[in-house]
Amino acid sequence: MSESTPKHRRRNTRNWHRWLGLVAALPLLWLSISGLLLNHAEFFGLNEAEVSTGWVLKRYNQVPEGEPRGVQVGDRKVSQWGVLLFLDHEDLQLNGNLVGAVAVKNRLVIATDERVGIVNGSGEMELDLDELSLPPLPVEGVGVKGEQLVIRSSGGTYRFANDFLSFEECEISLSTTSLPLLGDEAKDELESAIRTRNAMPLSRVILDAHSGKIFGFPGTFLTDLAAISVIVLTILGLRLFPKRKL
Amino acid sequence: MGNPIIIPSILVSATASKLRSLFFVIALLLSGGSAFSADRVYQKPSDFIRGSLGEIPANKAIVLDATQQKTVRAILGKRYKTTSIRHWSVGKKTAFILEEIGKTEYITTGYVVSGGKISTVKVLVYRETHGWEVARPAFTKQFEGAQLKGGNQLSRAAKNIAGATLSVRALTKLARLALYLDSIK
Repeated sequence: MSESTPKHRRRNTRNWHRWLGLVAALPLLWLSISGLLLNHAEFFGLNEAEVSTGWVLKRYNQVPEGEPRGVQVGDRKVSQWGVLLFLDHEDLQLNGNLVGAVAVKNRLVIATDERVGIVNGSGEMELDLDELSLPPLPVEGVGVKGEQLVIRSSGGTYRFANDFLSFEECEISLSTTSLPLLGDEAKDELESAIRTRNAMPLSRVILDAHSGKIFGFPGTFLTDLAAISVIVLTILGLRLFPKRKL
Repeated sequence: MGNPIIIPSILVSATASKLRSLFFVIALLLSGGSAFSADRVYQKPSDFIRGSLGEIPANKAIVLDATQQKTVRAILGKRYKTTSIRHWSVGKKTAFILEEIGKTEYITTGYVVSGGKISTVKVLVYRETHGWEVARPAFTKQFEGAQLKGGNQLSRAAKNIAGATLSVRALTKLARLALYLDSIK
């Protein structure tokens, strides 16, 4: 019965406050430090600093899954690894699954199932054609006939004008070829280039570590527990606040 | 007897049903959102063009020469992703579908320019994890009526949104670009 006296209740509250505070100290310290860093990200240069560590990039799906495939067109190599597209070792800002690539009048035409990119001789993207400039999607094949771009899509086969901005239906048959897998050496070179280029801004990594999301469900759960701990500690602290009766 | 494990009365007072409710609230919080959320597609580019111009006219492209590319670099702070930029025109209205990186991902935005002034801005695809507030009409409406003044600056600046600064900057740069492209088309 003695446990229910005010003196004992106060002691128990203090014990809970003490131990909960000890357990929550480390996560709260991290939340405070990372919060301060994020609030002054520009001052600390966190937007410019980058992280290229393998596991971090995997958390952001920056290191692709599966095996890379590609096609060689002249001295340029177009490849796809996961959802990422590459021209040689450079990122290609083109959405969709790689269908093929062909050379048309000193230009490299790269077709995915939803976009067609026109790359000039200097390696610059000249045009990025989407549904507004293409026949009914998806694009299923790409080829050349008489120095003109030919695309097969779900709507039929189409021959493009020289400026690539208009097309007309035609009766040309395009053979379907599957993209071959890249060799080990080419894959290693590509992976190295990806890790260097796809480094994440440090501010973004700290933000996601602050919220716990970078560690998936356990991270979010721990962050929430830390937040709940603060609430409980506050309540317990308020209970301890009144002066002890002598 | 040693000291038993004692639970503070404030916790003891919680009934089983309250604890169950707390568990579900926590579960709901944990299940909400991911740091790596998918693209937010607000409108297909073709629907934007059709909705803004009443039809989808044949597309044309502005092929940027060296001087124009220099101006574009001055506006964006870097090269545009392509050296030719498509546009669609009906009467005095010209529509552009432009893309610029907010922080790490491209934001696809539709702009309609009429008589040297912006008449419509709409975010079509937002791929960043933070800052999607720029897609709200309350924000994009600020660009309506804006035109270019000296130094290819906007005659009226859009107010910043806390937490979406880079996306606000991206949309502002693209608004300047759309007006500049309209002037050279």
